[in-house]
Amino acid sequence: MRSRYDWVIWTFFWGGLALTALFVGGPVLNAIWLSLHQASSFIAEPKFVGLGNYARVVQEPEFWSAMANGLIYALSAIVLQVVIGIAFAMVLNQPFFGQRLVRGLATLPYLLPTVVVALTFQWLADGSVGLLTVIARDLGLGTIPWFEQPATARASVILASVWLWTPFVTICVLAGLQSIPPALYEAAKVDGAGPVSIFFHVTLPQLKPVLTVVVLLRAIWMFNKFDVIWLLTKGGPLGATEHLPILAYKRAFSLFDVGGGAAVATVSFLILMAAVSTYLWMFPLEEKR
Amino acid sequence: MTKRFQGPSRRTLLTTGAGIAAAAAFPMPAVHAQTKELRFLNGEPAVDSVRALRVAAAQYEKEKGIKVTIDTVPSGDAYTRTVAAIKGGRPYDISTLIFVAHVLTLANEGQLTPITDLVNKHKWGKRILFPVNGQHYWYMYDYNLCWLFYRKDLYEANKLEQPKTWAQLLENCRKLSGSEGGNQRFGMATPVGNNDATNWMSIGYMWAEGVSLFDDSWKNIFASDENKKRTAAYLDFFGEMYKTMPPGMTQASFGQITAAYSSGQAAHAPYAGRLIEILEQRAPKLADSYGMMPYPDSSGKGAAVNHGYDGWVVGKTPMAEEAVKFLEWFSDAHYINFLHSAPLHFQPPRLDIYDDPRWRAHPLIEKHAGAVKTMQGFLDDPNITIRSIDTEGPGPDLRPAKVFESWVFPEMLQNKVLKNMPSQACVEEAVAKMNRVIAG
Repeated sequence: MRSRYDWVIWTFFWGGLALTALFVGGPVLNAIWLSLHQASSFIAEPKFVGLGNYARVVQEPEFWSAMANGLIYALSAIVLQVVIGIAFAMVLNQPFFGQRLVRGLATLPYLLPTVVVALTFQWLADGSVGLLTVIARDLGLGTIPWFEQPATARASVILASVWLWTPFVTICVLAGLQSIPPALYEAAKVDGAGPVSIFFHVTLPQLKPVLTVVVLLRAIWMFNKFDVIWLLTKGGPLGATEHLPILAYKRAFSLFDVGGGAAVATVSFLILMAAVSTYLWMFPLEEKR
Repeated sequence: MTKRFQGPSRRTLLTTGAGIAAAAAFPMPAVHAQTKELRFLNGEPAVDSVRALRVAAAQYEKEKGIKVTIDTVPSGDAYTRTVAAIKGGRPYDISTLIFVAHVLTLANEGQLTPITDLVNKHKWGKRILFPVNGQHYWYMYDYNLCWLFYRKDLYEANKLEQPKTWAQLLENCRKLSGSEGGNQRFGMATPVGNNDATNWMSIGYMWAEGVSLFDDSWKNIFASDENKKRTAAYLDFFGEMYKTMPPGMTQASFGQITAAYSSGQAAHAPYAGRLIEILEQRAPKLADSYGMMPYPDSSGKGAAVNHGYDGWVVGKTPMAEEAVKFLEWFSDAHYINFLHSAPLHFQPPRLDIYDDPRWRAHPLIEKHAGAVKTMQGFLDDPNITIRSIDTEGPGPDLRPAKVFESWVFPEMLQNKVLKNMPSQACVEEAVAKMNRVIAG
């Protein structure tokens, strides 16, 4: 029997599909089309070069170092965000005085615009007068070269990303923790399980659906993350924090190589598609019946 | 009784759709026909510069009946906005551009209107006009030269002389490093990060030493033995000078360098006239005790300043003719008013301005007449080289622009000061990257 609300459902369905095609499919197809052409700017007449741009960019050492940097950045940031996010969520799930206030404060970094966070972090880590620099110096750790060395610059952008986006994981996991039936914990305790055992055999399995989605979203966002790295290091020093999105941007908007930039962006998109497909195959969002 | 919502009827949908279509189709051309409007993209977001343009726009509308709309973006975003406006079907009639390759790209794509007659009405300083195929498209308003500032008071107190060579500069940087009143003072502040500031502020020594990047047939002569030797010597010097700099120079951009000098943290710093304006605002005592000099070379024979340049272009739009007329009207009194919005930073590229009493009447230009004379001297002195990475070579071209944008030289400096690589190896790596970039 047809519901009287069928037209609403179909309107939203086709509307959503049309918007997705326009705002997601359109740019993707345009990027792929551009990647098959050579053009020095977005107003230049593109010249068809087939797969020439792909052949060119994958031969350059910058491409492979950007790929490695992107993987290091994304994997490190995701692991730290998830581990710290779960830990915070478990603390915030316990009853204590001021719990609501602390829960609110814990989400604060996520509410701030990235540019504010990046500029704040830059000042905190300023080599001369930054608060973190001064504290480290007072603690006898010497002057920490936050952005001065390739390794520390990598660590610094990862640290900034973890600080910025861990609250997202915390909020999601906290919601997941609150949906776990208390009876499961009581039963585990009756069976003599300790806190560690309860965590690994009750909490974690119950959080699996939430974590599957959280890790997936974080992976997509971190692999494509542009703003925080660009604002903090612009990919330097010595290309240590230059990943594929920054390389694509630089090629298209600075190096007069729109086709090369589009090729890098398309390769990045394909890698992410493959990774997401593999992930969803390994961890399906719906339990098989 | 509440009425149950059942969604819009087919009749309502059809009549609403027809109404929207009719409304969209009719009134727009009528509005355009009534208003003559020039769209001006300003790339100088300082409040005084925006105000100078708005005043000019208001007066032009009053005199000529043509509205001039000023949109303002940071100068680094002006080209992207210009291109987006062209792609969006509403190109700007006048745009600010700060990079010669952007002018070249737009001119080659037929998006600019030549303003050769207008440009030829004035006498311009050296290396500031960049014609494309014999035509001028760019009306310059700023040289943006970068030179070295030093603390004259400290020089006098320590009986130091203005350095003529790298060795003397290094010696002075070392002597002026130390603790003063519980604060650490550093000899020099110079950026070494992946940014425009490094390309603008840290390469002048190389030009002074006679290094060049391309010959007249666009051959990469940076790779020649002579240039490699000179550059390696520059890196040896820079590596030593880096030891007298405050930490954090890989993150330093324009603001950090002016802050380092104006706060007394650094005894030397590269910059343009903006630094004097900042000193006047934040550290008036230092504004009375600064010295200026070009970048020295190793032997004391050569000297250089690094240039930046900024200007306006006229788009190929239906209002192009009006835009040229506006620019011609603007290029007299309002041009001077605009220059006054950053009186010491906007160093006039037009030589007649230096003798114009209206320009000279600004209080800061009067007060810092000595600095202005030095700035003018950079243009007049045949022994001073004016260069920049992106203007290297026989004419405007994308190759030097790519070298600029791919951070070839900032990374060469980073290899030296962060990785402690031998200077020769840093140069070889820069040559290899330059070759890759210009081939791509």
